[in-house]
This record gives sequence, C-alpha cells and structure tokens, in this order.
Amino acid sequence: MDALNSLLDGFGTALTPVNLLWAALGVLLGTAIGVLPGIGPAMAVALLLPVTYGLQPTGAFIMFAGIYYGAMFGGSTTSILLNTPGESAAVVAAMEGNPMAKAGRGAQALAAAAIGHFAGGMIGTTLLVALAPTVADLAVDIGAPDYFAIMVLAFIAVTSVLGSSRIRGLASLLIGLTLGLVGLDQMTGQQRLTFGSLHLADGIDVVIVAVGLFAIGEALWVAAHLRRTSGEAIPVGRPWLDGGDVKRTWKPWLRGPFIGFPFGAIPAGGAEIPTFLSYVTEKRLSKHRDEFGKGAIEGVAGPEAAASASAAGTLVSMLTLGLPTTAVAAVMLAAFQQYGIQPGPLLFEREPELVWGLIASLFVGMVLLLALNLPLAPLWAKLLRIPRPYLYAGILFFAAVGAYAVGGEAIDLVILLIIGLIGFGMRRYGLPVLPAVIGVILGPNAEQQLRRALQISDGSVTGLVNTPFSVTVYVIVALLLAWPLLRKPVAAAVRKRGQTPS
Amino acid sequence: MTKRTESTDVVADAADTERPSRRRWLREHSELGVSALLLVLGVLVLTDAITMDVDLTQRGPVGPRTVPIVVGAGLLVIAALLAVDVLRGGRGEAEAGEDVDLSEPADWRTVLLLAGVFLGAAVLIEPLGFPVAGALLFWGAAFALGSRRFDRDPLIAAVLSVVAYAVFNNLLGVPLPGGPLMGVL
Amino acid sequence: MRLRALLALLGAALLVLVGPPLLTPGSGPETGTQIPGLRFMVPNTPGGGYDITARTAAKNAEDAGLTHGIEVFNLPGAGGTVGLTRLVSEHGNGKLAMSMGLGVVGAARSNDAPTTLAETTPIARLTEEQDVVVVAKDSPYETIGQLVDAWKKSPGKLPVGGGSSPGGPDHLAPMLMAEAAGIAPRQVNYVPFDGGGELLASILGNKVAFGVSGVGEYLDQIKSGELRLLAVTGPERVAGLDAPTLKESGYDVNFTNWRGVVAPPGLSDAERDKLVRLFEELHASDEWRQSMERNGWDDAFLTGEEFGDFLDAQDKRVVSVLKELGL
Repeated sequence: MDALNSLLDGFGTALTPVNLLWAALGVLLGTAIGVLPGIGPAMAVALLLPVTYGLQPTGAFIMFAGIYYGAMFGGSTTSILLNTPGESAAVVAAMEGNPMAKAGRGAQALAAAAIGHFAGGMIGTTLLVALAPTVADLAVDIGAPDYFAIMVLAFIAVTSVLGSSRIRGLASLLIGLTLGLVGLDQMTGQQRLTFGSLHLADGIDVVIVAVGLFAIGEALWVAAHLRRTSGEAIPVGRPWLDGGDVKRTWKPWLRGPFIGFPFGAIPAGGAEIPTFLSYVTEKRLSKHRDEFGKGAIEGVAGPEAAASASAAGTLVSMLTLGLPTTAVAAVMLAAFQQYGIQPGPLLFEREPELVWGLIASLFVGMVLLLALNLPLAPLWAKLLRIPRPYLYAGILFFAAVGAYAVGGEAIDLVILLIIGLIGFGMRRYGLPVLPAVIGVILGPNAEQQLRRALQISDGSVTGLVNTPFSVTVYVIVALLLAWPLLRKPVAAAVRKRGQTPS
Repeated sequence: MTKRTESTDVVADAADTERPSRRRWLREHSELGVSALLLVLGVLVLTDAITMDVDLTQRGPVGPRTVPIVVGAGLLVIAALLAVDVLRGGRGEAEAGEDVDLSEPADWRTVLLLAGVFLGAAVLIEPLGFPVAGALLFWGAAFALGSRRFDRDPLIAAVLSVVAYAVFNNLLGVPLPGGPLMGVL
Repeated sequence: MRLRALLALLGAALLVLVGPPLLTPGSGPETGTQIPGLRFMVPNTPGGGYDITARTAAKNAEDAGLTHGIEVFNLPGAGGTVGLTRLVSEHGNGKLAMSMGLGVVGAARSNDAPTTLAETTPIARLTEEQDVVVVAKDSPYETIGQLVDAWKKSPGKLPVGGGSSPGGPDHLAPMLMAEAAGIAPRQVNYVPFDGGGELLASILGNKVAFGVSGVGEYLDQIKSGELRLLAVTGPERVAGLDAPTLKESGYDVNFTNWRGVVAPPGLSDAERDKLVRLFEELHASDEWRQSMERNGWDDAFLTGEEFGDFLDAQDKRVVSVLKELGL
C-alpha cells in the first residue's frame, strides 16, 4: 500500500490551486492545438514546451500531462465533426464518429469520445499505479519477433475494414503500403521510391497521409458534388447520451483501455494500432454490426478509450525505464532533461513528489477534460453550422498550416495536395480510405520488425517464432483464420452437449 | 478509314451510333482507369526495387528489396482483379455524405479550382509570406465553393490568416514567413 | 456594393501585408553579442540529441543575457541531410545557425548528399560525449574481454544494437571496435533502432548481445545497475563510472561523438566573428557550465578555423570507415 500513500501525497501536490490551474490550462491549450489538422500531441507538447519554461518542474509536468490528454482529445474532435483527423490515433474515430455527426448525432459522438477518453485515462492511470514496475519488466521482454506477430494479427484484422468490396479494400491497403515504402530503408539506409529527393528520405509522415486522404480528399470530394440547393442545416441534436446509447457504449468504454494500455507501454506500441484493434473488436462483438460504417457509437467509444489508455501506458515505460515509446514521450523525456531530471529506474526514489504529483494530476486532468468537454460537446457540434464554403475553406487552411508548420517547407503542401487528390479518386471509385492509412502505419512497422527479428537471429527463420508470446499470437491468428471452417462443427458439438443432459 | 469512304450510308450510320456508345462504355467503365493506375504504380514499385543496389550486410532471406517486390506484385494482381471485376459489371460505390449530392454530375471546375488554389498557396508561401498565401487560400477556396460575398470574404480570410500567423509565429514560436514587408517596416 | 467590396479587399491586403511586421517585435540594436532575429535550426526531431543541445544553448544564452529571441526550429530529414541542404542554400544569411555533430557528417556521406559540411561556415564545436559498451545486468559477459572473445568466434550470432542508422555514430563505434579486435566490419551484425528507447528495451531484454550508445543516454540505468557497463570508447575513463577504456583493454579505438554549430556559407568576416563570439560568451557562462554538468557532456570547445580543420578530418575518417563497409 506504499503506492497508495504516495499517490495520496501526490494528490496533495496536484490539488494545490496553482497546480490545478496549470492542469486546466494544459487541457485547454492541448485541446485547442490538438484540433488543428496535422498537429498531434507530440507537436502540441513540443510547441508548448517553451510556455512552461518559467514554471517549477512539478507544475510544468502537470501541465504537460494536461496538454497530452487534451491534444489527443482535440484530435478526435475534428475527426468526428469534420472527418479531419488531427493526428494518426484519431483516424479510427472518424470512421463511425463522422457518420454520426452527419446524421446530427455529433454531440453524442463527442460525448462518447469524451467519456471514452475519461474511462481510458482513469483505467489506464490506475493500471499505471498498480502495475508500473511489473509492466515495465514485461515490456522489456517483448522483442522484434513478438512485434511482428502482433503486426500479422493486425493485418488479419484489416480484412474486417475492407468495406463492401474486398478488391477495392485491398487496392486501398496496397496504396497505403506503397506510400509507406517511400523513404530510406531503416535497416540498410537504401533509398526506396524517393526518386533521389532527400525530402522524401524520411518517408511520408502518417499524419500528412491521414490529413491528405481524409481532410483534403474530403474537401475536394465535397467540392465536386456540393449540394447547391442548400439543404437544411444539420440538427445539432440533443447533447446527452440516452439510455440506449449508454447501454451500447459502457462495455466498449471498459474494454478499450485494456487494449490500449499494453500497447502504450511496449517500446514500439503507440496509439494507432490499439485504436484500430479496438475498433475491429467492437465491430465483431457488437449487436449492431450492420450499423458499422454508418455511425455505430461503439466504434467511437472503444477506440477513444483505447487511445487514452495507451497514453497512460506510454508514461509507464517513460517514468520507470526512461524509455520513450512514442514521439510524445520522447519530447517529454527531453523536457525532463531540461529540468535536469533523468527519468528512469531511479526516478521514483529521487523525485517522488514530482512523479506522484504527475500521476495524481493525470487523474485530475482526466476529470478536468471531461468537465470541460462534455458541456462543450454541443458547442463544438455547432461548428457544423458554419456555412459550407467557409467550413471547407477553413479545413483546407488549417490543414495547410499544420503541414507547413511541421517542417517549414512548401513541398510538404504539394505532397499533401497529391495525397488529397488520391483521396478524392478513392472516394470517387469507392476505395475505402481507412485501409490505406492502416497500410501506411502497419507496413513500415511490420517490415522493420520482421527484418530486425531476422537480423538478430542472424538470418534464421526460427528467429520469428522463438518466443512464447509470438507463438501464442500465431495460434490466435490461426484460430481466427480457421474459424469459418471450425464454426459449424463447434456449434454442432455445443448443441449436442446441450441436448445430452435433457 | 478507306473502307468507310467506299461503303454505303448504312455503315456510316452505324459508325455514328457507335461513337457515342463507345463513349458511354468508357464512361461506365472509367474505373478501369483506377486499374491502370494501380498497374503503373505496381510497375514503378517493382522497377524501383529491382534497380536497387543490394547491400551486402543483409542477413536472412528478407532484404530491402523483398517488401517492395511483394507490394509491387500485389499491386499488379489487384489491378488485374479490379479490371476483371469492372468488366463483369462491378462498380465502386462513390462515397455519399451529408454535403454530397451524387445525383448531379461531378463538378470538375470546382475541384480543379480548389486544387489550383491550394497549389497556388504552396507556391506563394515563400515569396509572399504566410499571411498573404493563407488569406488567398481561404478566400480562393471559399470562392471556389460558391461564396460570393466580396465585401466580407477577403476580410474574414485576412483576419484568420493573420491570427493564425500570430499564434504560430509569436505565441508558439513556429517561424512562418511574414511577407515582403518584413524588415522594411 | 462594389465600393464596399473594394474597401474590404483593400483592408484585407493592408492587414496581411502590414500585420506581420507590426506583430514581430522590433529588432533591437546589434550591439555586443546581440544578434536580433537569430534562428537556430535543429536538423532532427524534437527530443533528439541536436535538439537538446540547441534548445539548451538557446535558453542558456538568453538566461545569461547574451542575446534574446533566439528561435529554435526543427527541420528533420535523412539524418540531418535535409537541414544541411537548407543551411547551404541560405547563402550569406548571418542570422542562421545549425546544431549538428558527427551524425550529420555520417548521414551526409551515406546519403550522398548534394551538399557537404565543407561548404558551411564552421562556428564552434561545443561538447563531446563518449560512447559506452553496455550489456544487461544478467548478461553472461562480465568484462569487455569476454565479450570480444565471444564476438570474434561468431560475429553473426552476437547482434550489436545501436540507436543510429547506418553511417551514424552508434554504427561507427562498433565498427571501429570490430576492426580493432580483428573482426571484418562486414561481418558485424549491426541492428539499428529508432533512437535510444527501443534500443534500451532490447538490451535490457537481452535481445541484442550488447548495445553501443552515448554515455549520457544510459547514465541512470548504469548507475542503478540495470545495465552493466563494459567499456567506454574514448581516450580516457569517464569520471564516476567504473569501466576501462577500450584502449587500455587492448583494442585500439578512440571514438568520441561530438556536437557543434555551423552557419551558412558566404558570411562576411564580421558576421562570422559575431556568431563565434556569441558562442564564446556562452561557453564562458555559468548557465552553460551547469547545463553541461547536468547532461553529462564534456567540454570540447573549439572555434573557427580549428573547428573547420576538425570537421575535415572527421569527414575523411567517416568516408574511410564507410568505404570499408561498402556503403
């Protein structure tokens, strides 16, 4: 119960009026910056770093935690309302959230997302307190073969988001994989599909792809078919979730964190893959499977909870091992070092007040985020009332700002436009956009882990299956693949057993 | 060609009806263009992979070429499958949406105008600065999308652009080009 | 109506043209070390080594009152080559500097960059940092001798993890080490990781036989006993760490990673001297001394011509190592 006492002390630190103020300010600033397309949590934290220079370390990190969670939520807001993900982890939220918003249920989608973030953050942070040392030890045991096995599982899961036409879904996935190939090969440093341009050497950022395919592609597509006879404005709808909504979402809210947290904690995890896996899980488990793709609220609730819990998982590795598992964590690590604090095995002993203050402020931050954003959800949803020309002009404008601000290179805007035109073509010919984004995320990851695993085993293929973890995952993959064949005999056997006693 | 001039009116008639019907066939099967693009992409990826120098420090069966070759081959296969599907009458469903009216034919002028405005902003951002390029982008996009409030739109665009400039450049410390008057005033 | 539209257009034009210069704080006087509007480019992502160096230097310079309003910005790409190309294209810009180091030298070579560091104006080398050879606490290798003996027997079976892509510092160090131990560099099974995080997990989890990285990065893990330090790569032992140098262990390696600052080509002597002077003053400040101590950086201050000669020598060394590897 040592941890509990320390945590209570931490609350003492976090709940001082000044620190509460920093947390609230962080949440607000993070959300505000996170809504800009192309500017995700890592960028938000990096941009706001100088703002915290004047603060004491504890205040600064409490503010960071607020910015991190706020930015993640902000990214989902635009994803849901405008089909314009602010960052790559928010892509999945657009799949169900945007159809909901278009049907006038934007406020409910935002509320489901906000509560999902809250649940994910709360559960994730609780797991952080309870399991930090254990999880950190386990995270270290996960190696390249295990990652590759997870990637294989994720690729299998892609099949359930391919849409109505498998061929077109696969075409989209392959376009994504091709975009993911661009850049220097990470293992040997060879240039692939860069056409000699150094600018392409680091590959095309997932965020640029997501913003291009979703935001720019959407704006162009709408432009081609804009409803000239101005239809009635989308009703903002009731701001609150009704009983039916809650009945459908409480399970995803609770399931999501358990998918998100472990991914955040492992070194090559991040938030994209768990949000996607959570989406697929909810789709499989839902009783309203036919609503998926047309605005199923489960598809917002689960992934958002997973995203937020993944953020908590990220902090586990960073605080206990000094191991940055995502770009945000790398920036926060750098920030720690600015203050002369080295996160790592000794941090809990050296700076207990700071660490527990930070953890407590995660809880406080989640409450603030919920308190701020639930009432704001209907207001955000009113964004859809902006006249269409201004709305889409604004999307293009902010997408351009985001893309340009990252590197300050005009060529990024041209790349963004080209990807936007691809997105337009995909919409025209019914190629779903999500598999392409998944391809950009999964492809390079899977290749890198595969090659790393083989490199470590000195080229031996057994290096892919030499851990219990990877074998377990492959067994699951095999079962999933064989399930259509096994379903009938299993169901028959179950029925039989049900009959014999009677 | 020579054949047609020799032959009777009947043939000429047939040719006349043939042309629009071919055009219609092409329009209905325009999705074959997607298939062709996938094919080109596949060839591109494969060429790039095959012309790559293979590094000798590679270990194991998977090198820098392997994945591109798999992806390239996949693109070729899917291009072929898609072509077959289209010829058999399969159609990709164009994406519907609240702001989208699919009953009207696609308005290519707007799309080209919008893409042109975006490209223009990308070109102008360095010489004219972010505020000018950003304002032109917003105004141009709103104009392309049908807004004609000349007394209001430029001001909205300018204010939005300058505010964004101030937030990024002054508050967040992301340097954006200010324009030709920087350092003059 | 038309008049109003015209007025709106005029107003908008006035706003976008005149607004930005008015918003930007007026340039202060250019006296002493003050360089108003100085921008400091970081050629890798936020959180990376050059980023920390640049941001720390900028903050210390402001705190010491040397200059204010330094803008630090990131232009990552191809191990720093994209930033280098941009720097070289800003011919004659006396208000721009770039944080760089050995990694940029290597990346420019291994990426066949169209521009080289020889084209830049060298300003100052600031710090250096030794690399460390580390294994997990439960690794079978207790000494560097044991490790190298096993390594010699089967180089392929002992993967080496490093935090940089081929051509970077963490790649060069084990290659030099292999060469000194009589292993052909091509035989070395080098596994690149993105930055220090994944690498650390792989060393701790015994996925790689040993890891090579900057000493500052893993100081804490070494002190807490999670990682066992077998050797350091520089000419002298690192104060406070109980490990021999490779040289005293019988392997003739002298490798230190370093970081410094370069400026665009074509600067006037006055502009160059001004930048050099700024970094000289920074180097003399208490703030900078404290920052170096805190980050575990060693002082390696060198300016102007001498730094230029050093850059040349480093470039040649990188080229010769890469050539042996066939990169």
